[in-house]
Amino acid sequence: MSFLRISSSLLVLSLWAAGSVAVAQDRDSTAAVDSLLIKELEKEMAGQAAATPTPTPAQAAPRSAPTTNPRISVIGDLRAWYTSEGERNVDAELHEAELSFQSVVDPYARADVFVAADHGPGGFHFDLEEAYLTTLSLPHQLQLKGGKFRSTVGKINRIHPHALPFIDMPLVYLNYFGEEGLNDEGIELSWLVPNPAFFQEFTFEISRGPGEGESFVYSGDNRLLYTSHLRNFWDLTPNSTLEVGLTGIAGPNPNDRSTLMGGLDVTYKWKPVQFNTYHSLTLQSEAFLSDAGQIPGASTTTFGMYALATYQLARRWFLTGRFDQSDVPDDASWNEYGASATLGWHLTEFQKIELGGRTLWGDGIDRSSQALARVIFVIGAHGAHEY
Amino acid sequence: MQVFHRFLFLVVSVFLLLPQPAKAQKKLDVVTTLPDLASITKLVGGDKVDVFPIATGYQNPHFVDPKPSYITKLARADMFVTVGLDLETGWVPPLLNSARNGKILKGAPGYVDVSVGVPLLQVPTSVSREQGDIHIYGNPHYWLDPVRGKTIAQNIYEALARLEPANEAYFAANLKQFDDQIDAKLVEWEAKMKPYKGTKVIAYHNEWPYFEQRFGLEIIDFLEPKPGIPPTPSQLAKVIREMQQQHVQAIITSPYFKTDNADLVARKVNGKVVILATSVGAFPQIKDYFDLFDYNLDVLTKALQSAGM
Repeated sequence: MSFLRISSSLLVLSLWAAGSVAVAQDRDSTAAVDSLLIKELEKEMAGQAAATPTPTPAQAAPRSAPTTNPRISVIGDLRAWYTSEGERNVDAELHEAELSFQSVVDPYARADVFVAADHGPGGFHFDLEEAYLTTLSLPHQLQLKGGKFRSTVGKINRIHPHALPFIDMPLVYLNYFGEEGLNDEGIELSWLVPNPAFFQEFTFEISRGPGEGESFVYSGDNRLLYTSHLRNFWDLTPNSTLEVGLTGIAGPNPNDRSTLMGGLDVTYKWKPVQFNTYHSLTLQSEAFLSDAGQIPGASTTTFGMYALATYQLARRWFLTGRFDQSDVPDDASWNEYGASATLGWHLTEFQKIELGGRTLWGDGIDRSSQALARVIFVIGAHGAHEY
Repeated sequence: MQVFHRFLFLVVSVFLLLPQPAKAQKKLDVVTTLPDLASITKLVGGDKVDVFPIATGYQNPHFVDPKPSYITKLARADMFVTVGLDLETGWVPPLLNSARNGKILKGAPGYVDVSVGVPLLQVPTSVSREQGDIHIYGNPHYWLDPVRGKTIAQNIYEALARLEPANEAYFAANLKQFDDQIDAKLVEWEAKMKPYKGTKVIAYHNEWPYFEQRFGLEIIDFLEPKPGIPPTPSQLAKVIREMQQQHVQAIITSPYFKTDNADLVARKVNGKVVILATSVGAFPQIKDYFDLFDYNLDVLTKALQSAGM
């Protein structure tokens, strides 16, 4: 159970770090920032003394007319990295350019389409990331979704990588669902549970099985992939919330048998209502237990998890620390560990720059390290993200 | 199929464990984005409505977290009232998309965009994000003008009458009372501000044009270099110069911005930082839409008076 010890001590460490940053920030920020600001201010004022104010030019282009076009946006993901492994240690790429088209279809449904050009061997490859139809007004607080979409499992599976506070995906996602997460063609029914005490949403999905995958694959016979998720959400105080999700997945695996997976995700968020753009804290963990059927009739039980803490240092600065531990679906002896840190600078809502480092180790795995940088930009009417 | 049976059993048992639906309520369930809209809805709807505002009075209305608990409220709502334009664009769409409530979707009778018929200021003639977080339809902070508040009330009245025609006369009487009270108060408010007509001030964020126009202030610059971009040393230096040259004494800011930058500038020019309320509930004594202006004008006139303006 060494991973438990390591993970809990890491979580405690990151909590402590976040806490001490918060305290230090409150204590020193005013004085330190003030004197820094005053210095810069003096410099600016000296420089500006001679400068004459420039009049703002008048703008005279016509307003764009209302249109029935879908909301279109492009998200760019530029990356550069150093890695301690392999022949080529330094590289950079346009990792992805994602196009999104989103619109209401009619009073009954909306449609969301995401197409991405990914950097791959031999050039860029266009891929349909998601394309789905969602009903808007089914009775009994039901919602139906059909098409190709990111499955409602765990917490981060539904979130597009560009919106995550880290550059490297957690090992448990990579090892169990692959780089793109669990993303399949199917139909999903979700029900807003009429629970007067707290928010509860139950989701059930049937899909055909992904073309390729670590845990689940498309099967030649009639076996399908079944996914369910129960999301529970509480407002602990006006400033803090707790979310606990339960996941169950069952479907055909690459061994031509079935795999059963259970998952737990817990997210705590703190964000003051009043000064809500300055400091915030997120603590999040997900764990998955997998029972993968094998050819001789036996099955392999494996486990993977991550725990992270994100602290908003200042209005535009976010620091994330994460600990990973993961097996692979068919090998319980494969104990892979990872620790990473990411610093994000959100210039505006439409651009962020992130720098990160991570190290991987494990039983029989050579320790390796990476330094990563990415720039995310958005143009167009990209919609808001879910909480 | 054994795996599937085990799985189905799990799913069914989860359903059985769930609590039963709550009973329907008799009053009209109204959810509003801002507490100001909630206050006006209460004043017009009286005891025929139950109102829940999503945002808090001292919260930045551009950045409200779309918490799932709000989805629960929206799922049960008969009416949804929004400032519209693009003020709440970061948090209303994900909430409405998940609410599964056809009654309050855009275009449905229960969806009330109170900006309808409101004359807007700062409608851009061209749109580019080079200008920062600009509002493509015009400045959305129009509820800070009490006269435009009457249009808001009219929109809310029309929606209430549409949803509950039986109580139309009741809502109409409340609307009349609201309008009369605004008219009466306006005389008082304008008289209070009269000595300060044309007073030049600085604001933190561009959210006061309607207030400025109604009460005769002149906002000459902002601490933010561009809307939504935090103050920079060069912008602060520019503001200090302008304040010194034009003898400006006051910096208006809002409860959700930290005052360190404003304080610094105020110290440099020997001026005052005035924290005005942008919404009902920003301070404990602001209980309704009328209190909002009572409070703001009181604080503002006292500050301007003590600054010797």
